[in-house]
Amino acid sequence: MSLTTLLVGKHVSYIQNLGKNKDLAYHRTTHLRMNGIYWGLTALHIMGHPEALDRDEMIAYVLSCWDQEAGAFGAHPEHDAHLLSTLSAIQVLVMQDALDRIPDLERLVTWILSLQQPSGVFAGDTFGEFDTRFTFCALNALSLLGRLNHLDEEKTVDYIQRCRNFDGGFGAQAGAESHAAQVYTCLGSLAILDRLDLVDKSALSWWLAERQLPNGGLNGRPEKLEDVCYSFWVLSSLAILNKVPWIDAEKLTAFILSAQDPDNGGIADRPGDVADVFHTVFGIAGLSLLGYPDLVDLDPIYCMPAKLIEKMGLRKDWKALERRTE
Amino acid sequence: MHNVKRVPLSEDALKAKQTREHAQLARYLNLTDTVLTKRKNKDYSNDAFESTTALLRDNPEFYTIWNYRRQILLRGIFPQSSAVQIKDILIQELSMTTEALRRLPKVYWIWNHRRWCLEAIPQGPDDDPTQWKQSVWNKELYVVERMLDTDPRNFHAWNYRRYVLANVAHPNSETHELAYTTKKIESSLTNFSAWHQRSKVLSSLWAKGTLSLDSKEEEFDLVKNAIFTEPNDQSAWIYHRWLMGLGADKELLEREISVIQDLLDEQPDSKWAMDSLVHYKSLLIQTGPNADKLTLTNDCLRLLNDLRTIDPQRRTRYDDLGAVLKTNQ
Repeated sequence: MSLTTLLVGKHVSYIQNLGKNKDLAYHRTTHLRMNGIYWGLTALHIMGHPEALDRDEMIAYVLSCWDQEAGAFGAHPEHDAHLLSTLSAIQVLVMQDALDRIPDLERLVTWILSLQQPSGVFAGDTFGEFDTRFTFCALNALSLLGRLNHLDEEKTVDYIQRCRNFDGGFGAQAGAESHAAQVYTCLGSLAILDRLDLVDKSALSWWLAERQLPNGGLNGRPEKLEDVCYSFWVLSSLAILNKVPWIDAEKLTAFILSAQDPDNGGIADRPGDVADVFHTVFGIAGLSLLGYPDLVDLDPIYCMPAKLIEKMGLRKDWKALERRTE
Repeated sequence: MHNVKRVPLSEDALKAKQTREHAQLARYLNLTDTVLTKRKNKDYSNDAFESTTALLRDNPEFYTIWNYRRQILLRGIFPQSSAVQIKDILIQELSMTTEALRRLPKVYWIWNHRRWCLEAIPQGPDDDPTQWKQSVWNKELYVVERMLDTDPRNFHAWNYRRYVLANVAHPNSETHELAYTTKKIESSLTNFSAWHQRSKVLSSLWAKGTLSLDSKEEEFDLVKNAIFTEPNDQSAWIYHRWLMGLGADKELLEREISVIQDLLDEQPDSKWAMDSLVHYKSLLIQTGPNADKLTLTNDCLRLLNDLRTIDPQRRTRYDDLGAVLKTNQ
């Protein structure tokens, strides 16, 4: 079956049903629950159905994940606080206009700042795994909370620069190979800090454009397979660099649409695979940046509705493709 | 879910799956409940430790349980153990993560636990306090090499490898690493992870003076061989750009342009040859007034025009590059 349009109705009900079938896979993925809610809610916002999930229930769930000992959010009730789930919780509360419900904002800010290592990189939690993903989570969260002024900016930027490679890309740690998802987190971090002057824009735009494969899909590193999630990591990076036209939008659109599940809704990593909410949101986010008709504008740095980010005064100088009318 | 094929299930098949999962689910929920209750009660006993083993075997992505396991070790078990016992427990932990990584080589939490264990190895024995640490760390390269045999592009494994190398004090470790990347590249020219690692190791060896800068010529030979063998593979072309980026004067630019031109004559629709020629010719234009600017610009514009045809996905990029060349003309 050829899939040439976005099955909005199917995807909305797919997301609504995610919490209903409480099978083994559902219970085995509690460590991703808070992220899952952010992914689902963002996808709904971009499709123009922000109210498809119950607001009060969602806020109550987020608050039930507050880790009183740490002063931050875990992925699920009784799970330890982590930056990944903390950023998602803040993002959900922003989209639900409920930031004032955070149990203890001062403790939360202190906790985030405490995760910065002497090198400048952030750890994900107090157990010390560090990665430029966590730097981005911290910066993103602090900027949404209006607390970036508390950050040691020089140290932060210094570590990100150490992760830059000759191809213009960035890796997870100093010395690591460039990877599209890490490019997004480092570029997003520098964009939030207004330090895009540190980027080798021509090399990086070239490297990003070469992520597109003949079938239209994007990969995350040279000579790897395509995957729908890179539609966001690569495209958002290109949008930050104002170079989205450097890939073939029509072919990428077709690739993302072909990875939909026409029966149950949702988008998979590749055509014919099992859909999940992670690939669903990043597929839809990619389509929004590509100007797909009737979708809501997405901010490529914050991966949330652009209008919301604008209203918070956080809009930066990025550029997606014009929204098409049909 | 990555790489899981969608298989439509009949109603009967779905029912059978649910029945099968029913007992498994009950067991999983029961175990989760047990472990989380012990955790809430600050139970740091051996029994609690065993229960985390069972749960993590079932679900190694449950990061809270890894945290709890480390708390049990630090608060309950280590305080009652001798240094030798602590070392032995940590070695067992390493085996447990090896087993988990064999099944799930891309789970961050498992790699993270492994690093924690390595760093927690105590000093000892008394007469040679660094011996335990050294012997454990030395095995790590072997373990990570087996992981890279299975998936030579696993970035978790490469990152871990760099971490181990940075911590193992061995005078020849960088020279060995260079040889390792040669081996990986020879077995697969498309392994960009190995090319990347090579660029890092060489930079360090050259900066320290361990390796003479003359060896750069050997790199040009290696990459030339790769480019002629697999002209459509990005890896070697990107590496070539790194080599040139270290500082290419007019002479070197002209030499490499001529090498790539030979390849293009052999393979007239090699996109990467054309793209590289545009890049190096553009650099040559900037090398000074002696360069034949007009001819070079026209060469580039012609190549960009050909690129538009053979690589239409990126035609806007080629248009943009052409526009810049015309403006500077």
